[in-house]
Amino acid sequence: MNISYKGVIEEVAETLVSASTTFRPDQIQAYRNAIDREENLNAKWVLETILENAEVAAKKRLPLCDDTGIPHVFLDVGNNAGLPPGFFKAVENGVATGLRRLPGRPMAVLGDEADRISQSAGLSQDPADVSLAPIQIRSVPGSLVQLTVLMLGGGPEIRGKTQRIFHKHSIDVAIEEMVQWANEGASLLGCLPCVLAFGVGRTNIEAASLALEAMKDGNFLLQNPLEKRITEAVNKAKIGPLGLGGNNTVLATFLKVGPQRASGVRVVSLRVGCCFDPRRATLTF
Amino acid sequence: MLRLVTPLSQDQINNLKVLDNITISGRILTGRDVVLPKLVRIIENNGFKDLKLSLEGSVIFHTAVSPAGIGPTSSNKVDIESSIPALSKAGVKIHLGKGSLSRATVQALKEHGSLFAITPPVSALFGAKVRKQRAIAFLEEGMEALHELEVVDFPAIIAIAHGQSIFDQGGDRHEYLI
Repeated sequence: MNISYKGVIEEVAETLVSASTTFRPDQIQAYRNAIDREENLNAKWVLETILENAEVAAKKRLPLCDDTGIPHVFLDVGNNAGLPPGFFKAVENGVATGLRRLPGRPMAVLGDEADRISQSAGLSQDPADVSLAPIQIRSVPGSLVQLTVLMLGGGPEIRGKTQRIFHKHSIDVAIEEMVQWANEGASLLGCLPCVLAFGVGRTNIEAASLALEAMKDGNFLLQNPLEKRITEAVNKAKIGPLGLGGNNTVLATFLKVGPQRASGVRVVSLRVGCCFDPRRATLTF
Repeated sequence: MLRLVTPLSQDQINNLKVLDNITISGRILTGRDVVLPKLVRIIENNGFKDLKLSLEGSVIFHTAVSPAGIGPTSSNKVDIESSIPALSKAGVKIHLGKGSLSRATVQALKEHGSLFAITPPVSALFGAKVRKQRAIAFLEEGMEALHELEVVDFPAIIAIAHGQSIFDQGGDRHEYLI
């Protein structure tokens, strides 16, 4: 990697702002497709308004949503790449710089452990105090380092869960339970249409990490048969945008299945992402 | 599209029904997880007049107010939803937010002649709808303080009115929140 400490800060900051303000081309196309197939007029209005919001946000570099989210960083590090000293500190500073530039919502809770749980010591006024979540790292072939910033809003955190399922040696049983979880979450999530991110792993930690990886890699226009099956099953409930009914409860499903252990149990992590998810942008060093 | 200007009369509320498209103009209040229960406790302890605040005919928008903008938070979070009956009784006519509410809350809204409206979380568009904003109470809560906004043609859809709820379609889903 041939980049200065200040260069990393600047590039990470701009990537965070892009993640928070910009829909990607596949996301825009997914909304256009949804608008075309939506028959419920109120639902169509919601979809069109979300797309208009994205156009204005990109043009004016405004946050897509006032809940600017908790910053997460995902690193794909090439086997032949070397990270310079101070790299992780520069990433942290880049996230803080990006949050001030955006600006992010000043929602960091002050105080000691008890204060932070009960929110009894107030909030910081500095958006940069919304600190970076623990960084996820994967090893990949090559000599490049790819850094993805994901901004995770609060609504989906209420609707997600990580828990075991008993698959009974049937993919149908597993999918049925995953669809049930998604239906339960989507019916309470206001910000529909949603994007479902699933990770299936051997431990709770691994499954949650895989769900984040699914959000990092997911493409609205490239859906595998399992992803399509889940999307179509949840859309049958016709909860629809904002809960107004219609054909578009789920825009897409992003699924990552990791290695598994010999057992009747699978650990599944679900994030019922909101209508702006995944807010992400990637840069390559 | 029905254009409403605050404060709202009971007649105006009585004439609205679920799935009506409305716009709201005038002064509205904001509050969410922290301040709405505080407001309810003050009302219950008869300390409300000290706040110099009128809730009669008002709209409360479930949002934070920050440099990142405004946008609806989930109204079915326990702190927010549990405040709706008492605030309706105190005169709030429209609770504005997002997400499904329980059958018990639907009944409380009906009892007090109040409505629940929803709006998409389009913060980049909402900036153009806000003419003025100021924090008026619980300033120590930062973005969660009680704010007053002056808005023009703020769009919403009536989701719960007079005992009817758009969320009834799939049964009472609220049980899943607990």
